[in-house]
Formats: sequence, structure tokens, C-alpha cells
Amino acid sequence: MEELLEILQELRPDVDFENTERLVTDRVIQSFDVVALVAEIDDAFDVKVKPADLLPENFDSVEAMWALIQRLQDEEY
Amino acid sequence: MHSILRHLEKSAETWPKKTVYWDPEESLTFEELYREARAVGTAIGKIRQPETPVAVFTGRHVHTPACYLGIALAGCFYAPMDPTMPQARLRQILDVAGAEVLIADRDTEAAAREAGFNGDLLILDDLLQTREDPEILASAAEKITEVSPLYLLFTSGSTGKPKGVLTSHLALLSYLDGLQSVIGLDDTDVIGGQAPLDYIAAIRDMYLPLMTGGSTVFLPPALSAMPQQLFEALCERGATTLCWSATGLEIPADLGAFDGDEGTGVPLPPLRRVVFSGSVISNIALRKWQDAFPETRFINQYGPTEATGSCTWYEVPSPAEPADVLPIGRAYPHYGILVLNDKDQAAAPGEIGEICVKGPALALGYYGAPEQTAACFVTNPAEDRWPETIYRTGDLGRWDETGLLYFAGRKDRQFKHLGHRIEPEEIEQKAMTLPGMRECACLYQQEKKIIWFFYTGTPEPKELTLAFRKDLPPFMVPRKTVQLEDFPRLPNGKMDRNALKEQMVSRAARKKRM
Repeated sequence: MEELLEILQELRPDVDFENTERLVTDRVIQSFDVVALVAEIDDAFDVKVKPADLLPENFDSVEAMWALIQRLQDEEY
Repeated sequence: MHSILRHLEKSAETWPKKTVYWDPEESLTFEELYREARAVGTAIGKIRQPETPVAVFTGRHVHTPACYLGIALAGCFYAPMDPTMPQARLRQILDVAGAEVLIADRDTEAAAREAGFNGDLLILDDLLQTREDPEILASAAEKITEVSPLYLLFTSGSTGKPKGVLTSHLALLSYLDGLQSVIGLDDTDVIGGQAPLDYIAAIRDMYLPLMTGGSTVFLPPALSAMPQQLFEALCERGATTLCWSATGLEIPADLGAFDGDEGTGVPLPPLRRVVFSGSVISNIALRKWQDAFPETRFINQYGPTEATGSCTWYEVPSPAEPADVLPIGRAYPHYGILVLNDKDQAAAPGEIGEICVKGPALALGYYGAPEQTAACFVTNPAEDRWPETIYRTGDLGRWDETGLLYFAGRKDRQFKHLGHRIEPEEIEQKAMTLPGMRECACLYQQEKKIIWFFYTGTPEPKELTLAFRKDLPPFMVPRKTVQLEDFPRLPNGKMDRNALKEQMVSRAARKKRM
């Protein structure tokens, strides 16, 4: 999860990701952040985030994003 | 009077019980919209003289356009603002608008006060309860004309302050009529609206239904990066029409919305036409849309806020290929387009010159900024028989042999990012207000849609980003902030921007390999 946090911090140094929930729902991160983030997650974790995975509940917190990445990694095998 | 207000009145007579707007929670019929607008118009008409600004701080819901139209019924003009913008930005905008009255929702009232507004603050919900007074409305209507201002919208300004573009009733109708003659909406059409309501692109979503009897669904902004939900929302209302920024189309395409095998992608609404503008669209994204919607018309638009929406259009005739260069096309009805070369003469086909616009759809000018207005709204130097005002866009273009216009970049450093116009000088000036800053340059990497910021001085990159986040709209905040020992220099000691650009590209590539 460290690597994910690093990606997020680089993307948005102004957000305290560890203590923020409802990141998407409250528009803390916005559509262009999500596009950049998805590209970085695909690259860094060798997964493919699909449109069906792009739900606010999967991106509202670091934990949710991490759970999604792990699920996608499991699906690869 | 030739005005959207005439359409408001007529639409309420023709389609009283039909829904005109939906948001996720509420809807309004044409009749209700007209009633709400008259209530707001009465309340404002009681306290304000015509042709004065009213700031609007309300949220993305069906009552906001009712509020705008109500202000117009009072003969005033609306200056819409996004309450979620950083406070410093709102302060600047409020300062330019100089409005003595502001309308907010209960939950945005505090933001208006925090941004330093100390005039008359009214709550929209209260205004909607006002009993209509036909005399007040009639008296306001008598005091304005077609060329009275209707709205004041803000764009990035190179002086470090946002510019307020003031637009008349006539200009709005000229654009909408030109657009409607090309896209031909009727009362069965449903527009899926993504544009923020304080932004120029929203004029299509809000006002076309009043002319056609159709309707608009205002989509929640959080959906724009969530293609599954976005398309479900479009299908739920049976959207037939999208007028989106090019970026708005690129995002779902880039996120793979249409990549699934048959039946596994997002649900597809019954789109008849997709109109896009704001920047040059990626051919790859356009092709994905075309393949997903083979029966749908795709129309590219071009034009600055100063020409009220868009001034040229081009219907894409066939599936886009990667190497295609999409024309920005030909003038909409009511618009004249000139390309002036550096001798201020009409450019020959193939010759690059500045795109200039004329006609009744031009904005009235920049609010409270006569010098900026005089620099861009000028007398046509190529016409010596009568005085004719043209707007110099600062965009470069060329005609082809068949009379189609092509975009060819900018005269200055302005760029388009995510559909928004950005003057890099505005970002640079903000940075230079930080203690310890020495020199800086803001660059845009078009291919990757990344704003870069290079600087020398003592602040840490993170410090700089936080300062940008605090004061600038989110879309203007540089994604990559790089602290340099020194800038590459030309022999005369000036910053070498081309060398800096090369550094930017190689840095981006290096990152990719890691």
C-alpha cells in the first residue's frame, strides 16, 4: 500500500489520503485525477482497471483502492 | 424583445407540464421554471436597477437556471460562480464583478461570506417564495434591449486576474439559433449535461430546451470519471444529445468505457448527436465513440467565450483515422470568420493568420476592463468602408481550398487544458508571490495533458503545489512541479523556452521507463 500512497501523494500533494474518505464522492479528487491515477495504477501494479471497477466506492479511500488492486491482481491468476 | 426570455415565456405556454430539467434529486416543468424565474425576477427587480450584476453562488441543481433567468427578468445580469473554487479565486472574481447582491443556497452561504462578500446576501429558496409582481417585471422589461448584458462569465487572464466576459441577450440567441439550425433538436430530445453551470458550455444545456421543448438532465460532476454510472445515468433519461468538452468525451474513452466485447461495455444511450469543443479531440477517443455509436452525428465546434459558445462547426463525415486533422470547419449562421495575416489582410488559402470573429454573437467586452476590451475587440482593419467590430481570438488558423478552417495553435502562450482556457502567466504570477521565488515558467505538454511548472528559488515543490491548490481552480494546478538550479539560457541571458520544452519531454519519458 506504500507504493499506492506514494503515487497518490505525487498526484495530489495537498490531500491527506490516509485520513480522507469519500475522495470521489466529495470530489476531493476529480475526474482528471482519476484518469491519471488509473493509468498509474495499471502501470505500477500490472493490472487493468476496467470501467466496471470505476465506482466511487472503489476510489473513495486508499483502503478501497488497495482492496480493488488486490482483487484485480488475484483475478490475473 | 429578441431574447431567451421570450423563449422562456413561450415554452411555458407550449409545453407547460413537460419536464425541462432533471438533476439527481429534482425536476422542473416548463411552467414551474417560468414561475420560479418570475419569483426571482420580482424579488431582484424590487431591489436592483436593470443592467447591474447579481452574483450567483448556487449549486448544480434545477433551480440554478431558474435563478439565472429570474435575474434576467429583473433586467439585471448574472455573474455565476462555483462555490467550491478556492477562496482566493472567488475573492478575485467577486472583486471584478463588483456585485452588491449575491444569491446563494443555504449550504453555500458560508462560502460566499468567507470569500469576503459583504453586500446583500439572498437565499434562493426564499426568493422562490416571492409572490410575482407583474408590474415590476414589466417595468424591468421596458428598461432593457437586446444588447443589454445577460451574463458575466470568468476566464483565466494573463494579468493574474480572471477576466469577466460580458455577453448580451442578442449574442446568446444568435449562437443558440445558429447551433440549433445545425443540430436540429426537437421536443423529444434529451440533453445529457456535464458542463458546470458557471461555465460557458452550460448555455447549451440550460437554454436549448427553451427553444425546442426538449429537456436536459444535469449529471453529477462526480460521475465524469465513472463511466459505468455516467452512462447508466444517460440511459436512465434516454439522452439523445451531448454537448461536451472534447476532454469530457476523451475521459470515458480513455478509461475503456467502450473497450468491452459486445454487451460487456457500458450501456449505450440512444444518442442522435454528439457535439464537442474546447480543445482538439484525440482521434483515438473520437474513433472509439464513433464505433460505439455508428448512427450518431459527431460535430466538432470551435470558438472562444468572447464569441458566445462556438463560432465554427464541422460534422465529422467518416470514422476518424489516427493521422486525420479535423477541421474546425465553417461559420455557424450569424457568425463571420476572418483570418488576418500579419499585415492585417485576409489570408489566402493555406496561409496562417489570426482567427477573428464578427457578428451579433460577439460579447460586449471585458467587464470593467476597457484596455483589455480595446485590445481584443477592434475595428476590422481589413474593412475601410464602414466601422465593423471584430474579436481577435489570438488563435491561429488557415483556410483550405474548399473553405474549411483549420486550427493552427496560439499567437501567445495560452493553452487549453481539460476544456478550460489557461494563461500560463496567471499561474506564474501566483507563484512569484511566494517568498524566495526567483524565476519560473509554466509549460503545457499537449500530448500528455500535463501542466509543468519549472522554477528556481527556495520554496519546496510541495509548498508550491499547496499554494497553487489554495488559490487556483483545480484545473489550473500544475501536475509536475520541478525545482531547477538554473534555467537553460539563450546567449542574451533570457530563458530558453525551447530548451526547457525539450527538458520537459525528456523528463516525462524518463519517468515512463522507470
